[in-house]
Amino acid sequence: MHVYIYDDYLNKNKYTKAINRMEIRLTDLGLNGKIIRLGGIKNIKGSIQNEIKLGAKTIIAVGNNQTINKIIGAIINTDIYGDFQKKTLLGIIPIGDDNSIATSFGIKDEEEACNILLARRIEKIDLGLVGKHYFLNQATIQSSGTKLDINDYSIEIEEKGEIKIINLLSEKIKNIKSNPHDGKLDILIQTKKKDQTFITVDALRVTNESEKLIIDGVLEINTPVDIQVMRDKVNVIVGKDRLFE
Amino acid sequence: MFNKDNKLERLKDAETIIGASIKVKGNFHGQGDIIIEGFLEGSLKTNSNIYIGDKAKVVANVESKDLIVNGEIRGNVKTKNYLSLGSTARIYGDIQYSEISVSRGATINGQLILITDEKKSENKKSDISETENVENIK
Repeated sequence: MHVYIYDDYLNKNKYTKAINRMEIRLTDLGLNGKIIRLGGIKNIKGSIQNEIKLGAKTIIAVGNNQTINKIIGAIINTDIYGDFQKKTLLGIIPIGDDNSIATSFGIKDEEEACNILLARRIEKIDLGLVGKHYFLNQATIQSSGTKLDINDYSIEIEEKGEIKIINLLSEKIKNIKSNPHDGKLDILIQTKKKDQTFITVDALRVTNESEKLIIDGVLEINTPVDIQVMRDKVNVIVGKDRLFE
Repeated sequence: MFNKDNKLERLKDAETIIGASIKVKGNFHGQGDIIIEGFLEGSLKTNSNIYIGDKAKVVANVESKDLIVNGEIRGNVKTKNYLSLGSTARIYGDIQYSEISVSRGATINGQLILITDEKKSENKKSDISETENVENIK
């Protein structure tokens, strides 16, 4: 059984055409299923968990990065996670802005997403973990004044720029390859002097007294904070044009 | 990874790059190729190759397979295979090498020690006996 989780922002009129196009395409492909609209639900976690208990084979996030994070947040570290990992796939139908996670998986728009759901190309994907918060794409922080502690060494950056702690690349970056199922995180530091640093690590601690760490472009977290990777946590239906091998 | 004109043939394939505005402190040990363009203090070691850029400063003992130096190293250097010192290279420490190329203008302030085949095999034997000792202790 397919269960489609519609995010609450999709209630706006400007998304009506996209939703209609998607639903027609899903019907054509025989991928109909149950629809849950997060706008009308108070207990989001409970609703999603209940669908998995009832035997949902595919949970499909219809929305953006936040929709995916809401679903993952409802499942990881709960009693039903074991069932989810064994029996349930995560699908994504991107609608609107802020869809870097879908882009990473090679899913460009809602119509292509329907075809990808039908093809059922599956990848086991790691999740980054910052404190108690999971992320698929990356965590970012301003580089100036940031210290990274990694195993036996530390890195200090004084130049202005950005640090990306990457589980899954959200855009193509020249000469940079990141693998979301290698059990590693990749650190990319790009400063305004246009020099680039790239290191692959198992875990790290980030410290910056004045700047916050932002995960998947949404959630701000104070530092110091530990970041690690949890291997093969989610089975995701991906497109053939995904940004990793 | 490198050709003998001090150029990187496969820069894009390096697994680790330390940029010019980065300071690394501690024991930086990797498995793949490493490029250092910034500052590193502590120790630097990989089973693969290292490239030290002309603006880089490394205050550390350095150990690798191939090593190309265009910047400054303050510490002892051990290359299992090929060491290339460019015209802007400055090394303040002892150097162990199997094969070396030194460009005009490079500075070396330390001993040059050739790792011969005998020494290599001795090292291998001692590595094995160390392993045996460790196993015996276990």
